[in-house]
Amino acid sequence: MLFNSLSFIVFFAVVLVLYYLKLFSWTNKKRMLLLASYVFYAMWNPPLVILLWISTLIDYTAGKKLAVLQNQRHRKYWLLLSLFVNLGFLAFFKYGNFLMENFVSVLNIVGIEFQARPMDIILPMGISFYTFQTMSYTIDMYKRKIEPARTFLDFALYVTFFPQLVAGPIVRAKELITQFYEEKKATTEQFLWGAFLLTIGLFQKIVLADTLLADTSDTIFGARSMVHSLDAWTGTLAFSGQIFFDFAGYSTCAIGIALMLGIILPDNFRYPYAAIGFSDFWKRWHISLSTWLRDYLYIPLGGNRNGITRMYAALMITMLLGGLWHGAAWTFVVWGALHGLYLVIERLLRNRIKLRVSVLNGMFLALVTYTCVNITWVFFRAREFSTAKNMLASMFGLQNGEKILQSFDIIKVFVVVIIMFICHWLFRNTSLKAVSLKTPPVVLGMVWALLFFLICIAQGSGEQFIYFQF
Amino acid sequence: MKLVTSFLVALVLSVIGLVSWELYWRSQGYEATLDDNKHLWAVERAKVEGLSDTDVVITGSSRVLFDIQLDEFEKVTGVRPIQLASAGSSPLPIFHDLVAHTDFTGTIIVGITPPLFYSTTFPGAPPWQRAQARVDHYHKRTYSHRVNHWLSIPLQKNLVMMSGHEEASDENIDLKGLLNRVELPERTGRPQYPPFFEFGTIDLDRNVRMTNRTVTDTAFANVITNAWKFIMTSEGPPPDIKGTTAFFVADAKKFMARGGNLILVRPPSSGMFKEGETKYFPREQLFDELVKSTGAKSYHYEDYDPLKDMVCPEWSHLSAEDADIFTRVLAEELIKDKALINIKQ
Repeated sequence: MLFNSLSFIVFFAVVLVLYYLKLFSWTNKKRMLLLASYVFYAMWNPPLVILLWISTLIDYTAGKKLAVLQNQRHRKYWLLLSLFVNLGFLAFFKYGNFLMENFVSVLNIVGIEFQARPMDIILPMGISFYTFQTMSYTIDMYKRKIEPARTFLDFALYVTFFPQLVAGPIVRAKELITQFYEEKKATTEQFLWGAFLLTIGLFQKIVLADTLLADTSDTIFGARSMVHSLDAWTGTLAFSGQIFFDFAGYSTCAIGIALMLGIILPDNFRYPYAAIGFSDFWKRWHISLSTWLRDYLYIPLGGNRNGITRMYAALMITMLLGGLWHGAAWTFVVWGALHGLYLVIERLLRNRIKLRVSVLNGMFLALVTYTCVNITWVFFRAREFSTAKNMLASMFGLQNGEKILQSFDIIKVFVVVIIMFICHWLFRNTSLKAVSLKTPPVVLGMVWALLFFLICIAQGSGEQFIYFQF
Repeated sequence: MKLVTSFLVALVLSVIGLVSWELYWRSQGYEATLDDNKHLWAVERAKVEGLSDTDVVITGSSRVLFDIQLDEFEKVTGVRPIQLASAGSSPLPIFHDLVAHTDFTGTIIVGITPPLFYSTTFPGAPPWQRAQARVDHYHKRTYSHRVNHWLSIPLQKNLVMMSGHEEASDENIDLKGLLNRVELPERTGRPQYPPFFEFGTIDLDRNVRMTNRTVTDTAFANVITNAWKFIMTSEGPPPDIKGTTAFFVADAKKFMARGGNLILVRPPSSGMFKEGETKYFPREQLFDELVKSTGAKSYHYEDYDPLKDMVCPEWSHLSAEDADIFTRVLAEELIKDKALINIKQ
């Protein structure tokens, strides 16, 4: 089920009524939330709920065993079982065809003629998110960083909690499970702030991503001919806005919906396009994934504890796998590799150049960072390397292509992107909450009404969130 | 309680804004209508799964969608057909889906609009893609899609601001539609598509009737004919007569081999369409040959006195009144010829 759909409005209204009616005990409310979460997921493809159940059962059992077992080898087996099941799901459902294609390519390269039929595998929605979330639980249990979930219900709800089930934020057990232990009820302020966040998230998705930017980006990346330099830049900038508003929109909705239930989810975005440098970017973009990769991949690979070469290697491996996490294609690996390379170069430069960031040079550096990030988006959005190559050649004036966008499309994209960049810059050291507290209530209400009005008149065709496919 | 104030202000302003918006568009002559979208099509397609061999399914392009009126057909034959025709589409992908993915052995009426029927078998070409997208949606639709569709029906039927069209139309009043109307100096050097408006209304079971305005308002009808003129004179790939015929004949034979009853219907056209179709898609070489190759029953409007001189107000589709006549004549001929199998005739 999508947040930007009529069925979700009905679904959430029913959940809210049942949640706030004094009919049920807290345990029964949690059961209701769990059932609602399964319904939320099953509305897309009912049989795939079984994967959620398997993941939940295995990781809950592993967590319990890890809590009581003392024998280190036995504990390792339970951790490996959890990793095997979760990564196995990912390998089969997400990377099955990709692995097969590459296997066939390797065979063909070494002269063995082999053709494999593509496997007809459905990619379960949100599989990358919930598998990473449950793995964080068993890994933290293995490291004795957290206590086991008190009940199976608490754990199942942690894995399946519908606001963040299909596209995050990827929440750590200690941040979420513990919130289920005691009855939660949003205060009026929390409830309304949650509703405001939900409005902002839907505005980002329906109005900004789908209505104003998606078509331009789709037209350019789907063009059959070479495009003009201005068109190529417009398409790439449109995608940079689309992917941000789409994903940050989902996260904002998730945070708002959870808050309306009295549950607090962590921020997933902090105005990333105002980042100065790439390590700053990754502290602001998809924070729950970047911290997951840092804690469960980069640090176990040695982090910065084993010398500079090992650190750079760990960084590159982390970013390459981070790229692959997004999709089973080499273009995503290149996207990750570019980010890894940026991070390495940035660290090298930081050791040599000492720079005091002022408003002026800060804005310039943020613009440089944003431009470099845009280059990586070309690989992220292009389905094939040939498209990415043509796009980059057009962007850097290496070829003369066809003008395919109308003047208004270009103006529209530039206006949205410039406003987005300025907003990110102005908000980079503050938060929406802080700004809203300083805003007169009537003005905030007028802004809220405008956003809601634009959502309603944009209608939207219920387009899926981009990150659902990851 | 600062947010309570903000919420109340937002609530009041939203209600005022949305009511004003709705009233404004109503005052501009807009009416709430259902959209002929993939969801509505999928609901009808799902009905095929439970049909018996006495049932009738219609597929084709917009001509059979406008010209065969389900009520009239039912009155004469006692059977209410399932309408699966898709505007602007080749009938081949939908017919192929019916043959390949159902075990339906009743009657399929395929409407032949020559420029679309013989257009292409290339999956990326719009006439194919448009129909295939509906087929794909049907096979992939989720429970969420179904619920969203049913929830949207009362909104589409009652609110002008919620009755947008799946395909870009110059009367769409959603935000994207309104922004698309902004005109700035042309940049691409490509010919620009002329304005296009919906000229029919659709029911829940996809029965389409031409609006009265299209019949009575010549200026409006001319807007539509201008769009047809643009399509007919635009550069495009030549029709793939050989490929489309072979593709269709293979499916037709498969369908008839399992006991299915295939009927080919050629509805009327007028003006530039008729001239072009007569010149580039001559009946003897194409329609008659198709009938011969498939062995299907066939009905060409030129063969029936009440139909042969019918005039389409915008060259391609019949007015609601003429569509009733067309359907009645066709249905009576079908009965007379015992062309509908397994029906008491």
